[in-house]
Amino acid sequence: MLKIAVYGKGGIGKSTTVSNMAAAMADKGLQVMQIGCDPKADSTILLRGNEKLTTILDLVRTKQDQFTLDEMVRLGYKNIVCAEAGGPTPGLGCAGRGIIAALTKLAEKGAYEKYQPDVVLYDVLGDVVCGGFTMPMRPGYADYVVVVTSGENMSIYAAANIATAVQQFQNRNYAKFAGLVLNRRNVKDETAKVQQLADDIESKIIGSIDRSDLIQSAEELGKTVVEAFPEAPLTQQYRNTGRSNCDQL
Amino acid sequence: MKHTASIISRYTADISGVCSALYELGGMTVMHDAGGYGSLYATHDEPRWYDQDSLIFVSGLTETQAILGDDQKFLEDTIQAAQRLKPRFIALTGSPIPMVIGTDFPALALEVAQATDIPTFGFNTDGMHPYTTGIDQALTAIATRFCTEALPKTPNLTVNLLGVTPLDFSVNGTVSALTESLAAHGITVHSNWAMYNDLDALKKASQAHVNLVVTTGGLGVAKLLQQRFKMPYVVGMPYGPALMAQAVTAIQTADQTGVNQSILNCTKGADTYFIGETVTTMSLATAYQQATGQGSRVICPVDAQSGLLTENELTAHDEDDIRDCLKTATTIVADPLYQPICPASARFVPLPHEAFSGRIYHDTMPNLVTDFAPFLQSLV
Ligand SMILES: Nc1ncnc2c1ncn2[C@@H]1O[C@H](COP(=O)(O)OP(=O)(O)OP(=O)(O)O)[C@@H](O)[C@H]1O
Ligand SMILES: [Mg+2]
Repeated sequence: MLKIAVYGKGGIGKSTTVSNMAAAMADKGLQVMQIGCDPKADSTILLRGNEKLTTILDLVRTKQDQFTLDEMVRLGYKNIVCAEAGGPTPGLGCAGRGIIAALTKLAEKGAYEKYQPDVVLYDVLGDVVCGGFTMPMRPGYADYVVVVTSGENMSIYAAANIATAVQQFQNRNYAKFAGLVLNRRNVKDETAKVQQLADDIESKIIGSIDRSDLIQSAEELGKTVVEAFPEAPLTQQYRNTGRSNCDQL
Repeated sequence: MKHTASIISRYTADISGVCSALYELGGMTVMHDAGGYGSLYATHDEPRWYDQDSLIFVSGLTETQAILGDDQKFLEDTIQAAQRLKPRFIALTGSPIPMVIGTDFPALALEVAQATDIPTFGFNTDGMHPYTTGIDQALTAIATRFCTEALPKTPNLTVNLLGVTPLDFSVNGTVSALTESLAAHGITVHSNWAMYNDLDALKKASQAHVNLVVTTGGLGVAKLLQQRFKMPYVVGMPYGPALMAQAVTAIQTADQTGVNQSILNCTKGADTYFIGETVTTMSLATAYQQATGQGSRVICPVDAQSGLLTENELTAHDEDDIRDCLKTATTIVADPLYQPICPASARFVPLPHEAFSGRIYHDTMPNLVTDFAPFLQSLV
């Protein structure tokens, strides 16, 4: 089982990238599980059509422990197992602790045993702001961390921060840094800037996605690009990124 | 109201379970907490505190450390103390504050172990689970780490006692009486998990023939030792001569067949209620039934999916639920702090339990291995 946690600056395209990668991996016959670790709970939206999915923390809120694994997940495109951690009441509670509670519940209810996924993708919110957001990189969860970044300074800055955090946790047996996915914003010298970051953190670019309106067109259909436009060059880029995630690790 | 106790006490929590189980093993236990839990443990849960040394520390977690996620002081203090005191192992335990900020104890344990070269365990205790789960975690961790070799069996029939702490048996001679009584039947206690023994005795557990699980806190170790060394186990606490005779037969059978045995055999009866830890209380109800022919009901408020419960047992743990269960009872056997929620019409037989009332009734805890007959007398 290959488990990858995907981090990156807010709005950089983590959920889009993860969902498309998941779809590309599922196309290859892999059993994929995608877990949204973000109170917005919009990670798996493109994978499950119009199927509603109650977040894990909403289940905990309304039913304490009286719910089943089936209520926590939806099977989406090509049987991708979709789950959303959810979050506390906005403005209250603790989102980070919520991620811990949600991921613990998922494991407790036997999600990994039941679905036996080949690949698990954790789509994690923004920066590593508190203990809760390192949960997906703790032992038993992801083995590798991938960071999505563009060539914009803020995005590079966030990516460098995450890489440093991952580095600091090496003596705790946390996940290893696997590489960067360049999600283009078409800023000047984009490839060179991101390559520079990769060199600085002694890592590499393991995938590269063009900026494209096709993503919005697919979103309007409620689908990933991989599902809606299987022949598009962009789809090929997601397939390549998915493959290098699987192969190179 | 759910999860609220406005009249009765609460069972002590997982942190105390860990500390109590490890108290005599020569390790060093650090509670990561602001300080309050340490005095709770020392004052209420640990009757050995003033008579027997043990390396128990509280980290003195501050608000700033918690907010900033600063584990460094906790790590440095622990490492420094360990380097000076050279304990045989280190146990890190959590309280509610670290739980809320998501402190990763297994990860911190790894760092401490790397710095000190001393085996270190990180327990994700949070003060919100019953003490039995703490005992189970602690003893299982010890067995996982230190009982790795299948040693040659002892020539005579031997057992390990699993799940033994003062939280369930106080320090009133119950455990020694159990050991003597087994010896009188030709069964030697090889190791005791974990009173009156040090780590070296526990390390040799695989030499024994059978494990005797006397509380649910010992179940995890029993299962682990069975998996590793094919050691069978017997579940039950032999109170009184009749149940002891059954336990002896069960231990012999387990030894000969390799099949697990249970001496818990109490059936449903309407009027008499027992409340307490799962194995000890079901054992008591079984002994009562052997002596009187009467069934009973057993309430197990701290049962954490032990797999031992039958339709006779109730798992109620909220005050309101327990009160509802007791409505039709005519006789109730429980810790004295339960009495205020018992119907006035019922006869109340006090059975103090350290894990529930702490030191309050410490001096009157009965030794039910030696004094089972008078206890039964008070019941019928
Ligand atoms: N390669 C791309 N080309 C064009 N638009 C893109 C691309 N990648 C992502 N987007 C768009 O960027 C927006 C944000 O993407 P997404 O929701 O995947 O980001 P995110 O990193 O998951 O955000 P958040 O941090 O809020 O969870 C979406 O509207 C998406 O359509
Ligand atoms: Mg997102």
